[in-house]
Amino acid sequence: MAHDGLVLEVDGVSKSFGALAALSNVSIAVRAGQVFSVIGPNGAGKSTLFNVVSGLHVPTAGRVRFRGREIGGLAPETINRLGVAKTFQITNIFPEISVFENVRVAAQSRARESGRLPSLWRLPDVEAGAVDLLDAFGLAARRDEMAANLSHGEQRYLEICLALATEPTLLLLDEPTAGMTPGETKEATALIRRIATARGLTVLLIEHDMSVVMGISDRIAVLHFGEKIAEGAPEQIRNDPAVIEAYLGPPDD
Amino acid sequence: MSRALSWRAGLVWALLAALPALPFMSKFYLLLAFDALLFGAIAMSLDLLMGYTGLVSFGHAAFFGLGAYASAVLLERGVVSLWACLLFAVLVVGLYALVVSYFSTARRGIYFALLTLIFAEVVYTFFRYTQTFGGSDGIQGVPPPRLVGGFAIDTPLRNYYLVLVYLGLAYLACRVLVTSHFGKVLVAIRENEDRARFLGYNVQRYKMAVCMISALLTGLGGALYPGRSAFATPDLMLWTVSGELIIMVMIGGLGTLAGPVIGGAFFVLLQEKVSSYVDWYFMVIGLVLIFIVLFMPRGLLGIRELLGGRRWRTTA
Repeated sequence: MAHDGLVLEVDGVSKSFGALAALSNVSIAVRAGQVFSVIGPNGAGKSTLFNVVSGLHVPTAGRVRFRGREIGGLAPETINRLGVAKTFQITNIFPEISVFENVRVAAQSRARESGRLPSLWRLPDVEAGAVDLLDAFGLAARRDEMAANLSHGEQRYLEICLALATEPTLLLLDEPTAGMTPGETKEATALIRRIATARGLTVLLIEHDMSVVMGISDRIAVLHFGEKIAEGAPEQIRNDPAVIEAYLGPPDD
Repeated sequence: MSRALSWRAGLVWALLAALPALPFMSKFYLLLAFDALLFGAIAMSLDLLMGYTGLVSFGHAAFFGLGAYASAVLLERGVVSLWACLLFAVLVVGLYALVVSYFSTARRGIYFALLTLIFAEVVYTFFRYTQTFGGSDGIQGVPPPRLVGGFAIDTPLRNYYLVLVYLGLAYLACRVLVTSHFGKVLVAIRENEDRARFLGYNVQRYKMAVCMISALLTGLGGALYPGRSAFATPDLMLWTVSGELIIMVMIGGLGTLAGPVIGGAFFVLLQEKVSSYVDWYFMVIGLVLIFIVLFMPRGLLGIRELLGGRRWRTTA
């Protein structure tokens, strides 16, 4: 591969909103097949980093490359079509249609008809793929339920199903276990890891809960006030004094 | 599609086709039925935007009126082929709709509605206050269009069947559209347009496309109007007409296609009946509408649910 197995390169990216520097010169490199986590306290710039990678924000400075191709500043739909799918921290589904229809509309985005004239009269058959996904996340029995009626945990799973249905190479998960109980979180974390492996996905995960990422990450980067203060394997991060300070405050506090 | 071909739907179409055979169907009632079906079909076209995509157009009267003017202009000049009239209406309305939809879909919510309204008011003002197309009188006394050779659509009966065919084809087109790939994306846009973008859909392109389709169907309906009335006037494009179309969709039932057809027909018949008794008919209509909106939020088609029929939601 021309890009040396690197799926995502974030290179010196900064993003400011007016006078507020949400990200300052952040660089990360995610390799194919990795689960790469970005952690940090609330307001550290994690979501901003995701929004830059997924196309919601144009970076103020720096470059973002996906499989060697510059994607910084492209529209979200374009970046998704290249193979980057994102889930949202606050559940972002299609509330008033069925669970199955949610996944269907996501899956048909990759159908041959999509964006072409025949899409005006043809309905691509994406049933099998959609059912597989619902099965994997235990939602098969709920397929005809209106999405708004799902429990919080089920909606979090549907959120991931939507992203996966677009058959991404790189999956961006923004606090996928937000609002889950510790038990649900553990189960969800294991499920995500299993599905990522089974589908050969590269995963970029955002979390503020350290316990979630330690178990499933190959590599972790830590953001604090918009800057990267550490990067390494989970063990290194766990014992890094700068990280402990960022989370717990200075030792003399 | 299955619904379009079901026996119940077949029965409705058969009844509509047999309607002129009823003994009390005078010329007056045939023309009233024409209006009912015409506005029903146009409300249905608007439902593609309102009910399926979640976009409220406040300027559909302009598409209707431009279609009518396009047709009237040709008829007035002696080009009496119905097909020429329809083709010209498609060109005129299509060109206008391209501009309107390009700028309007760049904005969301209330801004979309306002932009469509402003564009429509510009068109209305042009036709009303310049003498190019007859000013406030519009184009009067045009000859009826001809289907083929010397066969003119010159009786209320022929006009009725013409509008019935238009409604049938428009319904079929809309039904195919909303059950297609495209239709599913429209619903996704209605439900959550931001998420649709992150699933790889160019939302503005979809919105533009559905605006164009809705506008063209409306314009085709407008092109049939001078054949029935022998005129096209700027009043057809008044913003109140756009408002009435929205009301028709609302009372019929958003996102159901069949509902707005019923809503349009209901509105036209109600208006005609009440206005023949009292001058302040719009107050009566207003009260009926308030009642429907308050107590039948799913519109007239929602009656099926109240009566214990199966759940009616074609947009899911």
